[in-house]
Amino acid sequence: MKMPAAWPAFLFVSQGIEMTSIRALAGACVAAFASLCAFVAPSAAQTYPTRSITMIVPFAAGGPTDVVARIVTAHMAQTLGQSIIIENVVGAGGTTATTRAARAANDGYTLITGHMGTHAASVPLYPKLAYHPEKDFEPIALLAGTPILILARKDFPPKDLKEFVAYVKANAEKVNAAHAGVGSVSHVSCELLHSILDIKPVGVPFNGTGPAMNALVAGQVDYMCDQIVNAVPQINAGTIKAYAIATPERNPSLPNVPTTAEAGLPAFQAQAWNAMFAPKGTSPAIVASLNAAAVKALDDEKVRKRLLELGSVIPTAAERMPEALAALVKSEIAKWSPVLKPAT
Amino acid sequence: MADTMGHSATATRNTSVALGFCLLAIAPQIFEFIWSIGTIFGWGVGRGPATVVISHATALLVGAPGALFGALGGDTKKASSDVMLALIYSYPLFAVAIVTVFMTIRSAQDYVGGVILMALALFALWASSDLQGMRGFSFGAGTAPRMFGGLLVALSAGIALTGLLAEGAALAHYSWRGPMFVMASILFFALAIRPLGLVVSAFVSFLIAALGSHETRWLEAAIVGACLTLGCALLFPYVLGLPMPMFPRFLIQ
Amino acid sequence: MELFANLAHGFVVAFSPINLLMCLIGALVGTLVGVLPGIGTIATVAMLLPITFGLPPVGALIMLAGIYYGAQYGGSTTSILVNIPGEATSVVTAIDGHQMAKQGRAGPALAIAAIGSFFAGCVATVLIAVLGAPLTKLALAFGPAEYFSLMVLGLIFAVVLAKGSVLKAIAMIVFGLLLSMVGSDIETGASRMAFNIPELADGLGFATVAMGVFGFAEIIRNLDAGAEMNRDLVQQKITGLMPTRKDLVDSTPPILRGTVLGSILGILPGGGAVIASFAAYTLEKKLAKNPSRFGRGAIEGVAAPESANNAAAQTSFIPLLTLGIPPNAVMALMVGAMTIHGIVPGPQVMQKQPDLVWGMIASMWIGNLMLIIINLPLVGIWVRLLRVPYRLMFPSIVIFCAIGIYSVNNAPVDVILAGVFGLVGYWLIKHDFEPAPLLLGMVLGPLMEENLRRALLISRGDWSVFLTRPLSAVLLAIAAGLLVLTVLPVLRAKRDEVFTESEN
Repeated sequence: MKMPAAWPAFLFVSQGIEMTSIRALAGACVAAFASLCAFVAPSAAQTYPTRSITMIVPFAAGGPTDVVARIVTAHMAQTLGQSIIIENVVGAGGTTATTRAARAANDGYTLITGHMGTHAASVPLYPKLAYHPEKDFEPIALLAGTPILILARKDFPPKDLKEFVAYVKANAEKVNAAHAGVGSVSHVSCELLHSILDIKPVGVPFNGTGPAMNALVAGQVDYMCDQIVNAVPQINAGTIKAYAIATPERNPSLPNVPTTAEAGLPAFQAQAWNAMFAPKGTSPAIVASLNAAAVKALDDEKVRKRLLELGSVIPTAAERMPEALAALVKSEIAKWSPVLKPAT
Repeated sequence: MADTMGHSATATRNTSVALGFCLLAIAPQIFEFIWSIGTIFGWGVGRGPATVVISHATALLVGAPGALFGALGGDTKKASSDVMLALIYSYPLFAVAIVTVFMTIRSAQDYVGGVILMALALFALWASSDLQGMRGFSFGAGTAPRMFGGLLVALSAGIALTGLLAEGAALAHYSWRGPMFVMASILFFALAIRPLGLVVSAFVSFLIAALGSHETRWLEAAIVGACLTLGCALLFPYVLGLPMPMFPRFLIQ
Repeated sequence: MELFANLAHGFVVAFSPINLLMCLIGALVGTLVGVLPGIGTIATVAMLLPITFGLPPVGALIMLAGIYYGAQYGGSTTSILVNIPGEATSVVTAIDGHQMAKQGRAGPALAIAAIGSFFAGCVATVLIAVLGAPLTKLALAFGPAEYFSLMVLGLIFAVVLAKGSVLKAIAMIVFGLLLSMVGSDIETGASRMAFNIPELADGLGFATVAMGVFGFAEIIRNLDAGAEMNRDLVQQKITGLMPTRKDLVDSTPPILRGTVLGSILGILPGGGAVIASFAAYTLEKKLAKNPSRFGRGAIEGVAAPESANNAAAQTSFIPLLTLGIPPNAVMALMVGAMTIHGIVPGPQVMQKQPDLVWGMIASMWIGNLMLIIINLPLVGIWVRLLRVPYRLMFPSIVIFCAIGIYSVNNAPVDVILAGVFGLVGYWLIKHDFEPAPLLLGMVLGPLMEENLRRALLISRGDWSVFLTRPLSAVLLAIAAGLLVLTVLPVLRAKRDEVFTESEN
């Protein structure tokens, strides 16, 4: 019998790699064992969770939402005693993944970490959205907020926010605002800024934050609004400048950047928030235990430290409750709907 | 004069090519009809078969000529999607089919290839016809697709023309066994991976694909298929850490 | 002399046992990922990110970097053996590489790909260390207008590399451009030609189309009645494993030129590495005394693009290391990995994280050394793989491709689409259309359209920007010159053909 000569090569290659995957292997073994148990003894008393939980992240691994989800779920997994597997499903501004989560079984084993785009701004942006953030999801907990900054190329004439507002209003025909694609945080928040200033400058779209930041550093575009994570090192190095931070308080990682209220534009308040949801109809007991685990994670010193390093704002105890998140989603949809016009 | 020379010799051949083009001209409509049969059983979303047939038939026979004459008369009322399909896609291909009957095809490979490519380009033109065009100085969503769609129509017409003007290869022979079983194997894998998991779908797909060759020896194929499945089941989820269902869902839950 | 101190420091970091191990693992996983059809670097790096959670940051990044450039080594393997390019950068390698394999010269093709990659990797690594900072300016000098012109040039390369009719090659490029427009429009978010299929909302994946028109189509074609004879012939023909002296002599200048081209183009964010491989191939074809050998198993057609893509893979780290801005999706994931470890890369990352930056640079050299040591002995095994009877090989390839495509997005629809593109590819073969220009059109299409629109937005609709910006004008001039050089001989040949037609 002829066996393919590929096998030796294949085994040779795989031997070296198994070491990296010990953690993955261990996780998978746990999952396999758990599922086996569930199969063998389905009638045994079930206390949630009995097997590993899938957490859908609607963005690429390594992005701001993904990082927040990973930091928090790593701690939640310890509390719940089951592994939480992160599945990154990218596409259509996160709405592909969110649609999938909305249609998933509401048994508490499929969750999603959504953000301002997927669970609020998507409503006005995509008229044919296959889900509704309020009707198709059970809110679990708000995880973190990421402040938004008004940034400009380093040789952009205005020196502070007041001058910026005057300049942009006077030169609305000439200035170029960069953003990271329709539906991205930078696009949505700049639309809010423009509606407050009542101007319609040319928006130059880029494919993601990286290329947009590159263009800003190179001085090809004039300004953009973006999340704090990407901007801090560039601001500190002086390759771009920041006019203001759109939160009520200054951020510890950028103590010199004034808030929009201080700088004279109190109406511009925007935060990219990340929150955890379950499909509609998930039992209240499961939601409560997930919420408790998330709250516990947000109280953990290590988790807090890592989130703060990212420039995130950690929600207060009251803000972490499901009811508070439901109210936030409602108010955010109301906030973005008049600002964003649908993408045809 | 060249058109009529040798006409009788290629007449039957040309007619079958022209008939093929006619079929191609209504291929999207036929596809939607087949798709719509599924909706009776509640699979997929879309219009029911009766609606599909009626709306496409009216679009082809009534709507499109009406819109065509309307446009000539300066009427710019927006036509329905079915009418647009008939106008942009089907009619030009019918025209090509009619022209084909009267032509001497010197290189069937180029001529048929060019026309099919033109069909793809026309289909893209239709698919992007509802998108926004230029907005002042900036491109709309539909500008580039229509620009390149138009360019491809011109290029493919050029290729078809070379097939009429220059001698070249005849139509190559298509076999059915390989494509059919390889496609069946791929389809089975796609449909089975979620509900049945990697182990079952990989092994069965392997055997379906093996049907594509008459050289296949079954015992050997089954053994290699099993080894391959085992290898994949270890390699993908464990070594590369790709999350993938392994076993049928009903066994796990 | 600061440079040597820095490099010495880097080697101290890179030679620590844990980092050596990480480097080796990265190189091995990268090779594996490159070899497996469909599994892309992005998907793998994304999957392995969580594993790096528990590792020290320097080791984690050394490993991820190893996967990235390791995949460039492995990517050529399937291109050469079974005509399936695993990465966009190895599409060109498939053209001559697979022809060499069909002539029984898979061994020399694989070996020269590894040697070229090794040389290019070493040179480019030195370049990062010495010229990283000044070269950053090039990345910043490229605005939307320059990118558009570069993409036009890239598409002209695709015309040049076609062996058959220029008209058909251009048609294939435009077809590729059209396919690339499926999905959401970047500027308005409008869904284009997606027919409400959610999986199409972000466009057709490169892996999906490449597996289809190259992989599945090749299999279907080989199953055609009468194709068995050719296959058996290939299996008997396999000759030496290592390149001959003549092969090495022939390949040396292409490797050198490929390295230079790749190093320069790699710095540009976005499509740099892809264009580099096409540019290197085109350059060799234009410089060759007998260009007709290209597409029929010329070793230069493997040596040049493989050197170029590996050089580009190395120098694409420059924007990340000097500006802190990720130039492509894999680098964006690496930034994510750094963020998870609490390092946010920025312009000062070289000063603030010398361990990380210099350790990574040093590890790249070690990684390249490891890769050539891994890859040269593997050549023998890969070539033996060709002796597996095709009746067993083809279902295996089908399964590997299907799993690979599924794993990219966990989307069954992608697998079906790849199957459909397999039929499209079969049709292309039957009508003598070449798939390589189609794929290049598809890869470069979005970049071209985006940058055209961006440039026109910034210039407020003034098309003259492409000519008034010097860099852009130069690129367009080269493109125009190249097009004339390509079309002229064809026109002349057509005229000759008319005269000789009666002989056929």
